[in-house]
Parts: sequence; C-alpha cells; structure tokens
Amino acid sequence: MGNEAIFQKLKTAIEEMDSDMAAEGAREAVAAGIDPLTAINEGLSLGMKTMSDLFDEGEMFVPQLVVAAQAFDAAVAILKEAIPEEDKDKANRGKVLIHTVQGDIHDIGKNIVKTMLSASGFEVFDLGRDVPVEEVVTQAKKLKVDIIAGSALMTTTMPSQRDIVSLLKEEGIRDQFKCMFGGAPVSPEWVEKIGADAYAETASEAVTKAKELMAQLGR
Amino acid sequence: MAHTIIFQPDGARAQCADGDTLLTVSGGAGIELETPCGGAGNCGKCLVRVENQAMSAITEPERESLSTEEIAMGFRLACQCRAHGDMTVFIPETSRQSRQIIVSDGRAVSGRLKPGLACLILKLDKPSLNDPRDDWQRLSEALAARDFYNIKIDYTALRQLPGALRAGAWTISVVLWQAREIIAVFPGEKEKIYGAAIDIGTTTLAGFLGDLTAGEIVAQAAAANSQVRFGDDVISRVSHCMMEDDGLERLNRAIIGDVNQLLERMRAKAGVDKGDVLDMTVVFNTVMHHIFLGIRPDWLGRAPFTAAVRGPLNIKARDVGLALATGAYLHCLPIEAGFVGADNVAVLLTQRAAIDDEQTTLVIDIGTNGEINLIGNGRVLAASCATGPAFEGAQIKHGMRAAPGAIEHLTIDPEQFAVTLATIGRENGVKARGICGSGIIDAVAELRKVGLLLADGRFNKEIDCPRLRLDEKGKYEFVLVWATESATGHDIALTQKDIRAIQLAKAALYAGARLLLRRMKRETIDRVILAGAFGSYIRVESALAIGLFPDCPVEQVEVVGNAAGVGARIALFDVDMRREAARLAAMAEFVETATDPDFQNAFASAMYFPPWPEAGAARGIL
Repeated sequence: MGNEAIFQKLKTAIEEMDSDMAAEGAREAVAAGIDPLTAINEGLSLGMKTMSDLFDEGEMFVPQLVVAAQAFDAAVAILKEAIPEEDKDKANRGKVLIHTVQGDIHDIGKNIVKTMLSASGFEVFDLGRDVPVEEVVTQAKKLKVDIIAGSALMTTTMPSQRDIVSLLKEEGIRDQFKCMFGGAPVSPEWVEKIGADAYAETASEAVTKAKELMAQLGR
Repeated sequence: MAHTIIFQPDGARAQCADGDTLLTVSGGAGIELETPCGGAGNCGKCLVRVENQAMSAITEPERESLSTEEIAMGFRLACQCRAHGDMTVFIPETSRQSRQIIVSDGRAVSGRLKPGLACLILKLDKPSLNDPRDDWQRLSEALAARDFYNIKIDYTALRQLPGALRAGAWTISVVLWQAREIIAVFPGEKEKIYGAAIDIGTTTLAGFLGDLTAGEIVAQAAAANSQVRFGDDVISRVSHCMMEDDGLERLNRAIIGDVNQLLERMRAKAGVDKGDVLDMTVVFNTVMHHIFLGIRPDWLGRAPFTAAVRGPLNIKARDVGLALATGAYLHCLPIEAGFVGADNVAVLLTQRAAIDDEQTTLVIDIGTNGEINLIGNGRVLAASCATGPAFEGAQIKHGMRAAPGAIEHLTIDPEQFAVTLATIGRENGVKARGICGSGIIDAVAELRKVGLLLADGRFNKEIDCPRLRLDEKGKYEFVLVWATESATGHDIALTQKDIRAIQLAKAALYAGARLLLRRMKRETIDRVILAGAFGSYIRVESALAIGLFPDCPVEQVEVVGNAAGVGARIALFDVDMRREAARLAAMAEFVETATDPDFQNAFASAMYFPPWPEAGAARGIL
C-alpha cells in the first residue's frame, strides 16, 4: 500500500468514525516507515477537518464528533509511540494546556476541543477536570506552554477562569501565556471582563483562535 | 362472667367475656390499635398500660418486647393480655391506628392521619391556699397522669400559660409536638389545629393548608418564586449568592416573603388564625433548601457539590421568620444527595411501594435540572442530569415559558405538513407568540413522525416542504406558524440549533437513566413516573418518540403531577412518613454521572432519536 493510500485510509477512518480502521491505518503507517507527524497531518487531521466543517454546517453533531475524536485518539496513540524523543517538540504549532476548571466536572466539550487542537498540529497537555487554579499555573510554567485553555460549564465555576488570570498577574507572568476560555455559560464579554485573551464558542473556533494567539505571540 | 373494661383517655367502656384479649375488647369499643404483626405478639406496637392486676400473666412475647421498667409501670401488649376482671386500660397515642385519608386532590393517594401534634384537653384543679403548685407544675402533673413525662414547654407558650388557664376556667388545650414539647396553649377546648405543607420550586411554590384534626386540606394556593428576578435556574441563584455581598440575604428574604404571603392567602381562604397553624412540612431542591434556611449555598455550585446538611431538620418557624404560631416547628424533609433534594424524597414517599418491587421504576422530575431516581429491588439510585433550561423554553429561538401565547401542543399533517396548534389562551383568542417545553417536545416528535427530521437530528432536505427553509444565516429551520397567524407578526420557527439544544437536554436525561440502569444491573425500565408540572403537560407519546428516557411501554408511563407537593402533605399528616423520608434519603445511592467513564459514550449515543418505524419506514428512512 502506498503512502497516499494510507493517508486516505486514515482520513476516511475519521470521516467514517471507525476506531478500528483508524488504528489499522496507524499501524500500517508505522510499518511503512511513514513519519508519524506526516501521517497525522496528511491523514487523520484532514478527516477531523471534514468533521469539523460538517459540524459547523449543522450536518454533524456532538455524537459524531465524540466518536470521530475517539478514532483520532486511537490512531494518534499508536503513531506517537513511533515518534523519536528528539522529534517530539518538532513541527508543532504551539503548546496548549487544556483543562476543565476547578469545581467543574463536565468535560465532553473539553475533550473534543483537545482532539481538534491536536488534529491541527498543537501539542496539547490535558490536565483533566476540576483542576485547581494553582495547579494550572504551576503546570503551565513547568510545561512552558503557549496557551492556557480552560472550560467552565456552570456560572458558578466561571470565576475559576478569572482566578487563573489573577494568579498569573500576581506572579508577574501574565505576558508569558495566552489565555483562551469557553464553555456553555461563558461569553466573549466575560472573557474580556476578566482580562483573558480569547473566547471560542465551538471546537473549530478554538482552533482558529489558538492559531491567532500563536500569531500574536510571533511563534 | 362478664367484665367491664374502661379505655382511657377516651373514656370508652366495653363488656367482655373472661379471658378475652384487650386487643379484641378495644376493637369492640371502637378503638383501633396498631397491629402490624396481626396480633402475634412480636411487633410490640399495641402497647397499653393497665391499672390493676385482674388479668393474665406476662407472656414470653411481652418479655421480649417490653423493658423491665415498662413491665413495672404496668405496660402490656393488648394482643397478649387477657382480662380476668374489671379493668382500666390507658392507650398511648402511639399505639392507636391512624385513619386512612386522601391527601391529594383528584388522584387518590391515600395516606394516614397520624400528625406530629396532639391537642390534649386537660381539666386542672384550681389552685388554692392548700394547693399552691405553680401553673407549670400543675400542667406537668396533669400531663404525667396522661402518660406524658418529661415534657418541655416552648418559651412563648409558657408566657401564654397563666392567662390561658384562667381564661378557660382551668380547662386548657395544649398542643404537644412529637410527645416532647408543648408548642402552644389555648384556653378551653380547642377543636381544630392546622398545619401547612409547602413545595418550594425554583420557579413556583405550591402550598396546602391542612386540618390536622380531620385530616383534610382546607385551602391550597400557588405562587411564583420571586427569586426568579435573580436568575432562572438554581445555578444562577447560587452565582448570585457568590457574587453579591448581600445576595443570600436578598434571596432568602424573597422566598420567606413568598411563603408568608402564600400562608396568609390560604389562611384567609379557610378563615384560619395564624396562631392555629402549628406545623409545617417543606420540600425543595437542595439550593432552595439552603437559601430558605439562610445557609450559604456557594459550595453546592462547585464540585464536589457538598451540602451543609442533608438530614431532616426540625426548626422553630419563628427562627426563619415564618408567620406560623409562635411556638411552631417546621420540618424540612431530608436531601438525597447533591442537587437531588427533599422534593425528590417527597416524590419517593408517594412511590415508596415500588422500592421493594421486583420491577424497575424510573422516577423523573423534569425541571431546570433533571433529577431522576431508579427504584426497585430494594434499592434507590439517584442522579442529577444537566438537562439545562431547554425544556423550559430557554436557549430556543422562539422558546418561552408556559404562559398565554405559548404553543403547548401541536401536530403535523404527514401529507401536507400543515401544523395544528394548541396555544395557551386560545379560548380567549390569544395567538401564538412562541413555544414552551411541551410544545417543543411535540414539535420534535411530530417532525420525526412525518420524516422531516432524521434520527441524528438533521432536517431531511430531501423532502419538499415550504415550511422547511433556510433562515437569514443560511441554516435550516421549520416554520411552525406563519407571520400572518402569529401574535408577533413574525414567523415562529424551530431551528436546527433548537433541535440540537433539545438533543443535548434529552441525551443528558436518557444517558443518566441508562447509567442508573446499568448500576442496578437491569436492561430495561418497567415503569416510568413523570412528576412535576412539566411532566403533567408533556404528551407521553412525544416524550417516547424523542427518546426522553429509555423505552418503556406507553401504558406504563404514569403522569403524577406535583408529587413533591403530595409527598409534603403525606409527611404533614403522618409523622411516621418523616422518618420514612429520612430512611429513603439515607438509602439513596447517588451516582455522579458526569464523571462516570461510560458517560461520554452513553451521552453521545443518547443524542440520536429513536427510530420511527411507521412514518420513517414509509419514506424509506429510519
């Protein structure tokens, strides 16, 4: 099987939301000696792009994205094994720390954003849900990320987003990170009010905004 | 040889044959005793106190259930003790069987009359120089003569005591709370005492004023929760308390004011004095519970969603600023867990028979949050599903609350796609202004039925239908009402985004129910109980058509109305049900759905609509 055929298989696997096919394609890519990052960019990510466009057009919805994301993650897990240590930093668009904010446990949206960012070439560190504000800042420093992304699904947990910005300011490192927030009750006004950098309503908008933030950083 | 038996405090007399049990004799005198064991001597409920020795010896079952002190004081079990002479028998209030009563209007939910209050009429000796006992001692001793020991008296009742004794010429009515404390005194013979049952919802309040003597509701009233101006859902109320310095105080004042007004309206209707309302049960969700009691709800709004207190509470009504009799207590039913509040426990009280059933019953109280219980096989599972406010018309383009002008039901003709509406206020010529929850569910179900909506929630663009069109943003929508027919002069439509909001909401509920089923190791639901105002208005067939909850035969879906209010009334009239509520709340196993590893997949697959065999198959789509 040629490289093109493998890329096509990876893309189709995502479009058809088929985890088994995605894993099979990933193993074939590794066996064929294809550069794992190329396999992600030329195959899987194109499939996720299709899904994301269909979502924006209203042709796809959360269930399809969830299942497509699972297929994507299954393939990426196999491909990542094959990436040489020294290459792991290479060729990524930027580093994003993602989490569901302190006090909140709803993470389905966050998981989709995470996959979409990975599919778009970002290196994503997922801290999970109900992550304390201090932990977010500590890990952001340690992992030297470019963007801190946080999701809040209840008005009562939105203040955690504000607290992240405040803590960064307190530590005098606000300018080292871009902050991008979202979640059902979160609005562009709120994000502006707390002094964060970007709001994204959907997973595909998160990708667009993340790219813009990277451009602002000049990285 | 016949004997004469006198039963006190009733003063009833009965003749009996030698060797008859006191249980038989009391029944003949019209006094029904508690006998859950059927008189076998092993439940210990038919406890009586006898005054003389003209009777059979203590039996083995009596030795098992009575303490040595009780035996020394003359206590016996009526089913074991046989009369061998004339006797006087005292029957404690706790041994009496309570009457069956109807606690809900319309639906025959039967409960028992066994209030937490007893109104005792006592005739005391007038004091004299030879009998200078103080008023309270005089009363205490009269109570002891009626087998009430170590009774306390509320301070405000104590202040009324001297006047009441003299105004009634030493006949006094004392209201005894749970056989422990006198909460009110009245001169002379008090005939009626009352209590209130209140269901405090996030949006509305329902109140019931009950005659505790006759066991009937004498007035009821409903009101809007005036906290609504601080936010529609519980989370926004918590937010308000977190963000504003005096937020809690304001919300608390609003709800206490609402309840007091409700009480006043009911009292006016039934002509009842404030001082005669002596008991109250309250049910509410966890957030309303905290705010009503003036307890900070902040930590309910964030994981791990910890309540300040879960158990049942007895609190002096005056301490929370309620306008009841000054000494009265209010009883807050217990909270199950997290957001699953006392209102759910009250619903469970009405469904308690189903808990030990082998069938599995899903109890749904749909409001802003979808609180669900799965009961059966001796278990109570609880979950809170983040349905969001879509079912209340929020987040829907032309959504509105159930108010005049709201489309509450509709059907779509499968051939021409003509929409037939039922709008609230239509009998007064009100035109459609928007659509409320029950209408939205109908609309989605009907769109599925006529093939215009696919199982994954997309509109079926293959069908040529003028009502299905692109909106100004180029997204599909279905026109329910043309501008010429609407009250607003604009088309009323259901958009693709609206359908998505409904899918998310119903999937939260459906997935929650699925996870509970799995926890109970069951595949299917045998029965569904739809409680709450919303549950009363939705068309069951439509709910099933959109997959609001796992499939269940339509005839096994029961709509029960405000079951939380019924539960509050059951607990008002029957003090044992307060203990039962505490037991149910304690046995509830809370399942946190959002963190369940299977939730994401269950939620995603629950977003699809069930297949619609008839119409769908006819058009070649499922």
